[in-house]
Amino acid sequence: MSFGAPLGLLALLALAPVVAAYFLRRKQPPRVVSALFLWRSPDPRAEAGPKLERFSREASLALEALAIAAAALFLADARCGEVAPTAHLVVVLDGSLSMRATVDGASAADRARDEVARLVRAEGAAALTLVESGLKPRVLAGPQLQVARALAALEGWVPSQPAHDVAPAFTLARELATGREQPLFFLTDGPPGAVALPPSVQGRSVGRRAPNVAFLSALRRDVAGVATVTVRVGNFTDEARTVQVRLDDGRGVAHETPVTMGPGASAALRVGLRTSAEVRATLPGDALPDDGDLVLPPAPDEGLAVEVLEGLDVAARAAVTRALSAVDGVTLGAPAGLAVGPPGSAATVRLGAVGELASFVGPFFAKKTNPLLDDVQLGGVVWTAGAGPVPGEPLLSAGTVVLASEGDDGVVHLNLDLTRSNVQRSVAWPVLWGNLARRARTARQGFPRRLVSLGEDVAVVTAPGRSWSLEGPSGEARPLLGVGALSLPALTPPGAWRLLADGVEVDRLAVVPLDAAESDLRTRGPWAVEAPRVTALASLASSRPRAFGFVVVALAALLVDFWLTARRRA
Amino acid sequence: MTGEGPPDVTGVRRADGGAPPTRDGPPDVAAVERAAAGRALRFPRVPHRGRLGAVRAASVGSSMELHDFRAYHPGDDLRHVDWNAVARTGELVVRVRQDEVSPRVEVVLDASASMAVSAEKAARAKELALWVCELSRNAGGEATLLLAGGEGLRVTGPGMRPALLAAKADGRAPFDVALARLPPLRPCGVRVVVSDFLVEAPPGPLAERLARDAASAVFVQVLDADDVDPPGGAGARLTDAETGEVLERLLDAGALAAYRERLAAHVAAWQGAARRVSARWLPLVASATLDELARRELSWLAEGT
Repeated sequence: MSFGAPLGLLALLALAPVVAAYFLRRKQPPRVVSALFLWRSPDPRAEAGPKLERFSREASLALEALAIAAAALFLADARCGEVAPTAHLVVVLDGSLSMRATVDGASAADRARDEVARLVRAEGAAALTLVESGLKPRVLAGPQLQVARALAALEGWVPSQPAHDVAPAFTLARELATGREQPLFFLTDGPPGAVALPPSVQGRSVGRRAPNVAFLSALRRDVAGVATVTVRVGNFTDEARTVQVRLDDGRGVAHETPVTMGPGASAALRVGLRTSAEVRATLPGDALPDDGDLVLPPAPDEGLAVEVLEGLDVAARAAVTRALSAVDGVTLGAPAGLAVGPPGSAATVRLGAVGELASFVGPFFAKKTNPLLDDVQLGGVVWTAGAGPVPGEPLLSAGTVVLASEGDDGVVHLNLDLTRSNVQRSVAWPVLWGNLARRARTARQGFPRRLVSLGEDVAVVTAPGRSWSLEGPSGEARPLLGVGALSLPALTPPGAWRLLADGVEVDRLAVVPLDAAESDLRTRGPWAVEAPRVTALASLASSRPRAFGFVVVALAALLVDFWLTARRRA
Repeated sequence: MTGEGPPDVTGVRRADGGAPPTRDGPPDVAAVERAAAGRALRFPRVPHRGRLGAVRAASVGSSMELHDFRAYHPGDDLRHVDWNAVARTGELVVRVRQDEVSPRVEVVLDASASMAVSAEKAARAKELALWVCELSRNAGGEATLLLAGGEGLRVTGPGMRPALLAAKADGRAPFDVALARLPPLRPCGVRVVVSDFLVEAPPGPLAERLARDAASAVFVQVLDADDVDPPGGAGARLTDAETGEVLERLLDAGALAAYRERLAAHVAAWQGAARRVSARWLPLVASATLDELARRELSWLAEGT
């Protein structure tokens, strides 16, 4: 005996309450009677022997148990004397965002689900492995999961990947397949020829051609309480279109502008809104509404306060102040994101020379991979440094003297005596301070960019000593290490992501579904590419329906039980 | 189900844990005395025996009541010769006088546990036994109480009332079995049997045994109201008061009707058996008071003094 849906055997759990109810029914309230023999019913069957009588009393329970067992066997799709389906089906599903496109009331993802179910029936598969393609392919169900459970997992599938290469998904599916010759099935909505299918992959498109208007890019800049939103709208239809672009800051319609585009063309729109709240940009509904609905959070604060601590000599203070005045967004004051002070102070940038002074003429030996030295040209400059020890990893050095270094705690040491140097009069000086300011900005906890397109890597800064996590639009949380600046692979699905520190929201990120390749639905349409069949797989196909005899047995048992019970009461 | 044996062929389970508790009830002595006041036991017009007393006996004796005349036979007491008749007829004629006795009354009380399925039934049975004893005493009879239950008890005289008050209807043996443990019943007395007669044994032999050698026998059947008209309901775990046997039944209308039908057949069988042994059958329900019973169902037993 084999079971097509073993979970149906869970119906046997119904035996427990039935048996319990039977014994509970037997526990009648006690009553003492004078003559019990007057209550006995003369039963001709009793005269045949106690076993028959016992069976008569237990018949109801036995029939009810039989009905439950038959129902459980039916639900479990029990098959006797039949070869159980053992085929393993491996299906690669295109996880791109365009699979959400809805045409004629059904999305491509819905059609892909139907197609998987049809494949399972056609191939008589007992085990199913589902792989979703994407920037990073993943196993949706499996490997070799029971068909019912795999199909159940597929019901919750939401494709949300940007345009991507499906080859890694094929590689993963091939590794999960039972044998090298086993054909793989690929379900996509992509245009024919867009994907190079390996010989053993049978491809089928469930996509439908549809017109679509989508956002192609979005940008928001916040300056002095004014949010400047720039969006580009693409027309993926075969005719000129005029659409209303609607920008809403949550307090009603803030701005609505018609945009006219030729077929296949795009148009940009820039709007300034006096708001610091999230702005929602929407387009009229179409086949793929996801790419016409964006939520643009406020841009991170670009401002940086720099504090010059006491103890810095006058020349140094003047040189630093002059250099910072050339850096955009930097102000002097507290609380400071960047502090400048003499050696031995608590500043994050410590400027000054200790010990016997020596002057060097550039260029110097530099660690050019460090972003602090980006575009810092020191050729011909005179750098006077002290002979005292400089902690941290050297960034600049002249001979055995370290001119600049960076400690493990992020403190930058500039071994420089500005009274005997001309660095402050060179181009490198403001560039160096610009780099320092940029690093100070990026070192702030949270997202340096709060608006990223689908498929883009995400930068985030965390601090040690706290429990960090990233919460997605559907509520699932991913833990993050508190190690400073992190670069995360592209986040899916699109939507609002929250950065949490010890359970408290620190920052918010918007992943917007902007992908011209996914928004263009004009090239979609059904197609199929067959692959060589493996005879062993086809031989396991089964189209035999469920054994409805079990249902007949269950109903018959219930009817007999009803008849017995009714007769006893009569 | 713990502690119960397997069901027998009729679905009855043996309760190995013992018989169920009974609900014995004390008799209302005052009510008995009220019901017996001004009444005496009605003795049947058939010969009976007893100790010397005030009731005419079947035997020839020396009382003042003239019974007959007959010719003198040698050996007759010359004191009984009616000399007036001799003078008139010239033949020796003797007066035959009837003996006067104190009639023997035996009250057999069923003390099996089925008589105590309710306090009302137990009390009424004891009141009835006591009432018959009182009636007997009012009639000049000599009552003997026999408790058929447990080891069996026979009490006569002043100790009868305390024995009856202290009696417990907790016998675990059916009435017919308990009867066999009693001292032998004495012949030629008036015998009143108080029981529910709800025994599974055939009524014929048991009735014959109860009425054997008695001058007259009265079978008083005391039934509880629930015995006559049991309440229905979803179901019940029926336990026999004496044997502890258990039977689970759905007490629907059909089951109740079947029970009443079997009870009626059982009572009819006992009535027939009583009639065959010339015993009087007096059925009554314990829900009525003794005074009501004395005026209705039991009026045949008593007569005014």
